[in-house]
Amino acid sequence: MISEQAKQRMRELAARYPVARSAVMPALYIAQAEEGYVSRAALEAVAEALNMTVDDVESVATFYTMYYQRPPGKKVIKVCNSISCYLRGCDALIEQLERRLGIKRGETSPDGRYTLLTVECLASCGTAPVLQVNDEFVENLTPELVDRLADQWEAEFQAEGQSQGRSPAGAGGC
Amino acid sequence: MPELIITKNIDVPGIDRLDVYRQYGGYEALEKALHEYQPEEIVELVKKSGLRGRGGAGFPTGMKWGFLAKNEPRYLCCNCDESEPGTFKDRMLMEKNPHQLVEGVIITSYACRVSTAFIYVRGELAYAARQVQRAVDEAYAAGYIGKNILGSGYSLDVIVHRGAGAYICGEESALMESLEGRRGYPRLKPPFPAAVGLYGGPTVINNCETLSTVPAVVRNGADWYASFGTEKSKGTRIFCLSGHVKKPGNYELPLGTPLRTLIYDEQYGGGILGDRQLKAVIPGGSSTFILGADKIDTPLDFESVAAAGSMLGSGGVIVMHEDTCIVDAVLRMTEFYRDESCGKCTPCREGTYWLVQLLERIEHGHGKMSDIDLLLDICDNISGKSFCPLGDAATSSITSSIKLFREEYEYHVREGCCKVGPKARKPVAAAL
Amino acid sequence: MAEEAKNDGLVHLTIDGIPVAVPPGTLVWAAAKQAGIEIPIYCYHPKMPPLGACRMCFVEIEKMPKPPQTACTTPVSEGMVVHTKTEKVLKARRGTLEFLLINHPLDCPICDKGGECDLQDFTLRHGPGATRFDLHKRHYPKPIPVSDRVLLDRERCILCQRCTRFCSEISMDNGLVMINRGYRMEVGTAPGQAFDSIFSGNTVEICPVGALTSAKYRFKARPWELKRIPSVCNNCSVGCNVRIDVRVDKIMRQMSRCNDGVDDGWLCDRGRWDFDYVNDTQRLRTPLVRRQPGGALEPVGWGEALGMIAERLRAIKERYGAKAIGGIGSTRTTNEEAYLFQKLLREALGTPNVDHHHGIFPGLRDPLTGRPWMLTTAIADFERASHIVLVASDPYERQPILNLRIKKALKAGARIYVVNESPTELDRLATRVIRLPQHGAGAAARLLLEAALRQENLRNPREEVRRRLQETAQATQQAETLCGEEVAAALRELAREIVTAPAALILYDEMATLAPGCANLAPDLQALAVVTGNIDRPGAGVGPLFEDANSLGARDMGLLPDSLPGYRPASPEGLSYQEMLSSDAVKALYIMGANPARHLADGNLRRGKEFIVVQEILLTETAQQADVVLPALTYAEKDGSMTNVDHHVQAIRRALRPLPGARADWEILMDLAALLGHPWTYEGPEDVLLEIAAQHPLYRGLTWEGLGLQGVRTGEVEVAHA
Ligand SMILES: Cc1cc2nc3c(=O)[nH]c(=O)nc-3n(C[C@H](O)[C@H](O)[C@H](O)COP(=O)(O)O)c2cc1C
Ligand code: SF4
Ligand code: FES
Repeated sequence: MISEQAKQRMRELAARYPVARSAVMPALYIAQAEEGYVSRAALEAVAEALNMTVDDVESVATFYTMYYQRPPGKKVIKVCNSISCYLRGCDALIEQLERRLGIKRGETSPDGRYTLLTVECLASCGTAPVLQVNDEFVENLTPELVDRLADQWEAEFQAEGQSQGRSPAGAGGC
Repeated sequence: MPELIITKNIDVPGIDRLDVYRQYGGYEALEKALHEYQPEEIVELVKKSGLRGRGGAGFPTGMKWGFLAKNEPRYLCCNCDESEPGTFKDRMLMEKNPHQLVEGVIITSYACRVSTAFIYVRGELAYAARQVQRAVDEAYAAGYIGKNILGSGYSLDVIVHRGAGAYICGEESALMESLEGRRGYPRLKPPFPAAVGLYGGPTVINNCETLSTVPAVVRNGADWYASFGTEKSKGTRIFCLSGHVKKPGNYELPLGTPLRTLIYDEQYGGGILGDRQLKAVIPGGSSTFILGADKIDTPLDFESVAAAGSMLGSGGVIVMHEDTCIVDAVLRMTEFYRDESCGKCTPCREGTYWLVQLLERIEHGHGKMSDIDLLLDICDNISGKSFCPLGDAATSSITSSIKLFREEYEYHVREGCCKVGPKARKPVAAAL
Repeated sequence: MAEEAKNDGLVHLTIDGIPVAVPPGTLVWAAAKQAGIEIPIYCYHPKMPPLGACRMCFVEIEKMPKPPQTACTTPVSEGMVVHTKTEKVLKARRGTLEFLLINHPLDCPICDKGGECDLQDFTLRHGPGATRFDLHKRHYPKPIPVSDRVLLDRERCILCQRCTRFCSEISMDNGLVMINRGYRMEVGTAPGQAFDSIFSGNTVEICPVGALTSAKYRFKARPWELKRIPSVCNNCSVGCNVRIDVRVDKIMRQMSRCNDGVDDGWLCDRGRWDFDYVNDTQRLRTPLVRRQPGGALEPVGWGEALGMIAERLRAIKERYGAKAIGGIGSTRTTNEEAYLFQKLLREALGTPNVDHHHGIFPGLRDPLTGRPWMLTTAIADFERASHIVLVASDPYERQPILNLRIKKALKAGARIYVVNESPTELDRLATRVIRLPQHGAGAAARLLLEAALRQENLRNPREEVRRRLQETAQATQQAETLCGEEVAAALRELAREIVTAPAALILYDEMATLAPGCANLAPDLQALAVVTGNIDRPGAGVGPLFEDANSLGARDMGLLPDSLPGYRPASPEGLSYQEMLSSDAVKALYIMGANPARHLADGNLRRGKEFIVVQEILLTETAQQADVVLPALTYAEKDGSMTNVDHHVQAIRRALRPLPGARADWEILMDLAALLGHPWTYEGPEDVLLEIAAQHPLYRGLTWEGLGLQGVRTGEVEVAHA
């Protein structure tokens, strides 16, 4: 379900641009922030707000890698594996993450906590290797740092699990 | 240390805030532009400064502005889609000194009589986008953007637009498609954006660094700017140094600075990681041809790098030392183009897919000797045959690496393993 | 080249040494085609803007940077020297083909497209001898239905985007789209969404390979087994040109046969696929008679059936007079048949009672312009309209291909106004949608006209219109009450737009005139166009959108109680369609290719009727009530002409051997005329057409041969003569 508020924001965006469909990308971000991914409801809401067909919206959404076609984990970890990070040893770190998170690159953990992705150059080659957790950078990665990060994520989920009744923050926001 | 222009204040604490930016002379150039110059005079000024685009092609900026068709409305797109592997300067400019960029956008819009400007920020750079958005909001509030800016009668609307993960949207026509809410397919040229661009209107598209340079040019004058750099490549630019150097990072240097200085000078790269031997350098992002270690004394200006057999491109200097398996490195770069090909045209879409498969099999020790020439022939069928330069770019590392390091490819085929690097001397297939 | 030759306004160039002269803006590809040189294309389609994506159409152009160039994106220029067969070009084309083939399955033997596949053909002519690709092909699960009617085989797709661009550029319904990116790209729809478009079949037709196939044609025939006959679609009044593909006397499929003036190269799904009735095993194959009232219909020979008709009609005429006979003609038979039908009734039987089911148009002609009730614009000129106003009409549902022409106008800058009771497909693209109350179209027309007349800058203020409105002032009151203030205000605003529009085109559905309160729909809208000066200006116009393939032909041929062929007044006037059905004075009905039982509340035709004859192809509700049923032929089994909505007179051609036992309507009419003592001597429809041409101003000079493959639009001829 896309909230009425979100739909209203989409309509406002449509009016902000010289042509309504220019707002399709920001509108998809808004929808994804609510649904976690580009769900059917997301497609429909965007299509309606911008006077497009759902197929048309789907076509745009699937061109861009940041719109998820399936629900991602609560923490989406994107590790750069392009040339500069490669030269700085990212491959070993990716394997380390695979071991720590128990999933392969491209997968989401069955408990829905993690999605591990390898991505293209993140414009951070001077501080390679790098990763992003839910779009925020962690730079100058080392094996120790990766371990610390993984520990920290675990701890966060632990804490969350203990504070009953509170739902975890959605992933993949904008 | 030579005089810095774009990164001069980059490390000033709080420079990303309007008040601090103003303390350091921020928006003075804008006032000067609006009150002392007609738009055309700024175009002339920038022409005279010799400023050339920092997005990749190095096209003279003032001349580009001069080409704009006269009809209205006109648009400006600031290209902050920085995605070229090895390039990370625009992100820094946006995150650390967004007002400088915004000031450049406003001055350029004024010079080009633009009524709506878009800042297209790469989707992955969420923090950079927030920084730019805040700077734009502050500028609106301070009257630098909006109606009747600083009483000049000039009005401008600025929209910050986020990409969503597509390298091709850095290509100017794909960027416009994306801004119009479509898949980021490059458009047919001609017509060029200066004639028919965004929403069909005349459109000027410039890189983030290019526009971040504009305030300094306006403040200090064309001659001052032209006094830096070389005869044909004027000014300074940010070199993004990465890979096997001791101190990777962004370094602003006058154009024409020797590659050796950038890599070895203590103030900059500080030498090769682990004091190993230099093997190869990619001088302008992964789309440019690989240069051998013998080119270490090449001056980093557009002409000299071209003469050395590559391109200055986006300024992403990627350094590889002797332990780099060139086949593996090239495979990594080719995967990028396969994944980022927009898919519109056949040679790039299918060709990069094929290239990756061939490189993979060579890298993993299953290649055939004929695969090496097949790679070259596929590159020939892609390069110059693709719709946009991405296809050409996908072939640069392959053709140049085979030229420089053919024996390493042959070694892979013959021995079934890498010649150098961590996977050397044990057959790769067995190691997997 | 001689100097005078260069002053011809054309661009001169040479292609492979052959000099060519073409209009400026022509693409190198089209110039080469004109010179008889084939340049292979996949992504390019002449009806869509150039894309330049497939990289197949390489040529080398002297003095151009970075050869080779793509011929589909490069416009010609004076003195250009083009080479299409240099080694560089051939290598580049081989390269592209090799790329396309790396992921293409080798299933040509079972592929529907085998034998007419551009990939197969171009590979043969331009391709590499063998593939050097020995790695993993992309695989997709086998064909997926993107709708009930269209299947997609993603492995065969070469991603040329023709289909998806048809959906974005031409039909603008964005049903089929590109999904994902790069080497993962595929054609598709949103998850769970069907490709739901009345135009979907066009994508199958323009797919250069076997990726999109039609569920209907799949595995039915091989292209080389097909006989291909040029004809015209029989489905609606647009008259799209088709090619009927036949195998052993069965229609396998209908394909578009481009006529720029009519269909612009497209065909709707109904036209393409709804031909089952031709192949239907339930077709009537023998005459049927009912020997006594209440008895069953029994098969008999033609002689007996026709003899019985002649005898019974003669008897009724003797007993009640000729006026006791009524004739109901068809909107789907040919002009020649319609003409002979009224001739039979009027001359051989002597009754004035001739009509067919049609909309309400007062009088034979619009009094303001003096011309017959028909569209005043050519379909092709829709593209030049600045405003298109659709009142109570929905071309998407009723005349689908006109919907595409309207969208083409939209792309060229036209504004669309939809004034309708229910939502239409065009609403999404309209500048304004005015939603009418039930049966509100007549009121809307009245209010538009009224508001237009109140404007000062009228191009052509006609007193008689003003007078008519004044005399019927209470109609305006009623219209306002019916529509309500909001709608009335919207209509007033629209009227102001129409008054100042450079070229407004006003369209309404013929059958909307039949709704209660809509009898003046046609004259009011016609008057609106006249007073606002929207007649006879390029792109401007007004007119009814007719229902059936030969609705306009039926009018032209005098299947009207008050009109002889050529809109000459009939005297005396006969009874109308409704009157014939309801009047007890009419004892015999002769019905050709019509189904009036549908228009009666209880479906009972027999009330007061002693004798009913029906010429039909299937045993319809109407035929079931007849005393004699004569099996007729479909459009695919006979020759003749039809007149479409913008008055293109076009030829349909016999594509199949006639169903044994059935006969063409015109043949039946001739035999009956002979039995009634009027031995006509026409050798065939072409002779009938000559007779029509001799007496009908709108058909003057037409001959069967002269209709050619594209027909002749004769709408203006009469005006010129009038
Ligand atoms: C595949 C491709 C990717 C590109 N990516 C970028 C980019 O990320 N940022 C950029 O500024 N220019 C990029 N460009 C160059 C732009 O098309 C354009 O030339 C540039 O933004 C113009 O700005 P400038 O004149 O200031 O350099 C790219 C070009 C191509 C062909
Ligand atoms: S070369 Fe072709 S497929 Fe590649 S990015 Fe450009 S247009 Fe897209
Ligand atoms: S037909 Fe010219 S590129 Fe496709």
